[in-house]
Amino acid sequence: MSQSPAKPIVTLRQANLTLGNGASSVHVLKGIDIDINESESVGIVGPSGSGKSTLLMVIAGLERLDSGEVHVADHPLHALSEDAVAAVRGRSVGIVFQSFHLIPNMTALENVAVPLELAGKANAFERAREELIAVGLGERLTHYPGQLSGGEQQRVAIARALAPDPVLIVADEPTGNLDGETGRQIADLLFAKQAERGTTLLLVTHDPVLAERCQRQIAVRSGRIVTGEEDHASAKAIA
Amino acid sequence: MASAGNNAGANGLRLGLAARLAFRELRGGLSGFYIFLACVALGTGAIAGVNSVSQMMTGSIASEGQTILGGDIRFESDNQDIGEAERTYVEELGTVSSGVNMRTMARKPDGSDQSLVELRAVDDVYPLYGGFETVPAMPIAELFAESDGSYGAAVAQIFLDRLGLSVGDSVLVGEANLEIRGVITAEPDALSEGFGFAPRLMISRAALDAAGLVRPGSLMEFSYRVRLDDGASARDLAALREEATSRFPDAGWSIRTSQNAAPSLTRNIERFSQFLTLVGLTALIVGGVGIANSVRAWLEGKRGVIATLKCVGAPSKLVVAIYLIQVMLIAAFGVLLGLAIGAATPFLAASALTGIIPISVNASFYPASLAVAAGFGLMTAFAFAVLPLGRAGEVPATALFRQQGFEASSLPRWPYLLVAGLTLAALCVAAIWFADDRRIAMVFVAAVIVAFAVLRLVGHAVQLIAKRWPAVRSTPLRLAIGNIHRPGALTPSVVLSLGLGLALLVTLALIDTNLRRELSGNLPDRAPNFFFVDIQSSEIEGFENVVMELAPEGKVIKVPMLRGRITQLKGEEVNADNVPSEARWVLRGDRGVTYAKNQPENSRLAEGEWWPADYQGEPLVSFSAEEAGEIGLSVGDTITVSVLGRSITARIANLREVEWESLSINFVMVFSPNTFAGAPHSWMATLSDPNADADAEGEVLRAVTQAFPTITSVRVKDALELANRLVGQIGIAIRAAALVALVASVLVLAGALAAGNRSRIHDAVVLKTLGATRATLIRAYVYEYGLLGLATAVFALAFGGVASWFVVSRIMTLPSEFMPDIAFMTLLGALILTVGIGLAGTWRVLGQKAAPVLREL
Repeated sequence: MSQSPAKPIVTLRQANLTLGNGASSVHVLKGIDIDINESESVGIVGPSGSGKSTLLMVIAGLERLDSGEVHVADHPLHALSEDAVAAVRGRSVGIVFQSFHLIPNMTALENVAVPLELAGKANAFERAREELIAVGLGERLTHYPGQLSGGEQQRVAIARALAPDPVLIVADEPTGNLDGETGRQIADLLFAKQAERGTTLLLVTHDPVLAERCQRQIAVRSGRIVTGEEDHASAKAIA
Repeated sequence: MASAGNNAGANGLRLGLAARLAFRELRGGLSGFYIFLACVALGTGAIAGVNSVSQMMTGSIASEGQTILGGDIRFESDNQDIGEAERTYVEELGTVSSGVNMRTMARKPDGSDQSLVELRAVDDVYPLYGGFETVPAMPIAELFAESDGSYGAAVAQIFLDRLGLSVGDSVLVGEANLEIRGVITAEPDALSEGFGFAPRLMISRAALDAAGLVRPGSLMEFSYRVRLDDGASARDLAALREEATSRFPDAGWSIRTSQNAAPSLTRNIERFSQFLTLVGLTALIVGGVGIANSVRAWLEGKRGVIATLKCVGAPSKLVVAIYLIQVMLIAAFGVLLGLAIGAATPFLAASALTGIIPISVNASFYPASLAVAAGFGLMTAFAFAVLPLGRAGEVPATALFRQQGFEASSLPRWPYLLVAGLTLAALCVAAIWFADDRRIAMVFVAAVIVAFAVLRLVGHAVQLIAKRWPAVRSTPLRLAIGNIHRPGALTPSVVLSLGLGLALLVTLALIDTNLRRELSGNLPDRAPNFFFVDIQSSEIEGFENVVMELAPEGKVIKVPMLRGRITQLKGEEVNADNVPSEARWVLRGDRGVTYAKNQPENSRLAEGEWWPADYQGEPLVSFSAEEAGEIGLSVGDTITVSVLGRSITARIANLREVEWESLSINFVMVFSPNTFAGAPHSWMATLSDPNADADAEGEVLRAVTQAFPTITSVRVKDALELANRLVGQIGIAIRAAALVALVASVLVLAGALAAGNRSRIHDAVVLKTLGATRATLIRAYVYEYGLLGLATAVFALAFGGVASWFVVSRIMTLPSEFMPDIAFMTLLGALILTVGIGLAGTWRVLGQKAAPVLREL
């Protein structure tokens, strides 16, 4: 796959980020270069505090770099305003969280419809219904998050992430809050949808089994990428 | 990048979407908004209620103008009847009812008791409008007719109670014998007769003549009420008034039309309601702190949702719009609750006012008053919600990944600050704009702003002191001091919310208590025991003998008394409109004037010199310094007064400092004796006898009334008691209003403390895990709340002390004292509130089991 002439969806160049102020500041990302291709599934692994979640946030446009560049689906996120980044995110990036983060006062259907509504789609609810049916929750459309199990809530979150047809799905420990069997089912769903739609999947996980299911792994340690140099180098060559 | 820009439109601020999402989000219910709702409803309700009642009263006065005035137009002349030409003019206008009003003494035939009365003599056609009713019911002609040398009279029940009389008994007034034939139950035009100082006694004009009370210099009002034959529109009445004024410029009468039947009552209602509106506004602004706290706490709980919305592509503006719509919807609900309270108030007040105010008060809905209150409620909610909402817009999407909220950034972006500032400014401008007296409203608004600013500083100062406080041994105290200054401490909220309400209450309580103490204690001690008016020159010597015989220790001060009206100032016609409102009374109608050889004892010359005792030059006058300053007169200027139909121009020789509140005989104008040489006049006298008790005073009163039936005696203590009672009644209304502000304070306080409890649970559980006992924690909380209450009370006392000193000593020019009992009650009240409410909330915290909380941490 590294040999195929795939188009990069995510490109980071000399990405640097420091969090906190003064004595408490931490240089979290230290000159990171990454290229992630279209339809690729990449697992980001590393110990706690290594910077993997921050890397995910930078790619999702949730965190702004101090220096360097980040391009997602041809958009230079480092150069866009916050609202423009939000627009790119709404259209091109789907996010799945460890703690689901559904809006408690909205039904499953409404939760999935929100990004479509924000993007100004006319058939937001129709699309949301299709997405929920696709993740096996056709019977749970009008349920509120509090009435759903953890696994069901994460399915709603996946449906919400997929609904705007993003080119990139980022998932932060998507199975972290679920028991083993449910976690496996969620992972199956995530990879199945990724394969089915040809979406790029970027996954942060502590779970080696889950990481193994990705086509490629990037290990982060102390804010730098320590393995996967080969893939990295070939990606650079393509870029 | 281009496509990002193109799509930004789709993600721009769309109100429809914001409203849809806001409504969806509101399904969570109003939990967390009860304090918010209560604050908005309370403040709005207070303003709506006060304004509705005021509008009801002024509306009732306006709609019953003819009845209250007793005619379509009313001509009144003080102390002398109108001239022939004027009478002819008035009589040609329509049906005329004339009357005379005066204060005099009514006494029992056996001389055993007497009472001051408000005597009113009416003619046969009275009343022109409305119904005059007595028990037993009787036609006017029969009620007041003469029979066997006795004239009929109708009296107020209180008169009968005071003298132990009943219908059928006789009383003497002046030289007339009156038979009480009925008790007045309805006097339709009583309101236009001004302030009822003593019980009403009504007789016929013939009886008044028989009493021999109409004498030169007697203090009385002659009135002519006219019912226009063909009715009259408002414009006709105004034109008629103009015509009468311009046709008889020297008549010296005051003319009122049914369009403005009771101007001073209307003005007083408007002033009082304005004051109460400002107090209501304070309640609303105090509530504003609660609104801000509620919104902040609520948005803190929404942090996850906000970050999620941002993660799925919502721009900041949309997030702010969603929550602004929610907040304003809840505010609108609170405003509706307040308006319901405000709309109901006139109906409750109408039944309470029946019997107190002699007009029929018809309660209704007053949309204008409700609209003003709604405007204030919504503006306040908006102004105080904008800042926390602005901060909500700043919640980063990364908040879902990291524990950081909008507490991290202290201030929202400048547009939010600007909007909040502009809304608050608009609120102040509206408060001033709607006020009757804009100067007072401005002072009030400034005081609230200063109190707000000072309270913030006090909050910071308390935190700073706590932070710098040297380490203490006691663990609970150390915990308490730590709680006072740690980030996110309750200190600023508690000090601000409780401080404003408490400061207002202390200010009003100190003003009220100072005023009442002055009326019931200090003033009666300094003031004379009696005022005697309408003493004829032929009686003065005899009068003095009678008084001195009964009160040999007493001191009688007698002064000649004439009535005069200022017609020109510095050679120009008087135009009261060019004079500040506080000095207009000097130019309005007839004033008492006197003359004196020597400078009065109780005055001090501020400028100029007193005339020699044997002065014989051009007429000179000594003018009261304060009023001269307000009118714009100085030494050397001339004034022209009309006395007994004669115009006299006098030059101001000096200005005197007059201490009006001493209740001694004081005159704005004291002329040189040659000015009125030979003019007939009456006398006025005071008797000061510090040793006289009630019995001795009673004896003097009896003897004077017996010997000189036409002299009117006013016991100062009775007058002050009446004033004290009135101030007491007004004080109750003011305190009730201030209580609304305090209730708002307590609501905000309770809300702030409840919001603080969330972090308390965490702290308490961790401390308990580390070995803290329940007793240690309770002591720590008591110390913390107690210290906060104490600091707030000290501020409230300082602020209230300064504000009340300013009002009492500078505006009312009365001695102002700080009251230790009020200070003590304030401290106690503040401690009970903070410690009580604080502990009530934390009780639950102390009972919290550690495990479930720790699992969540």
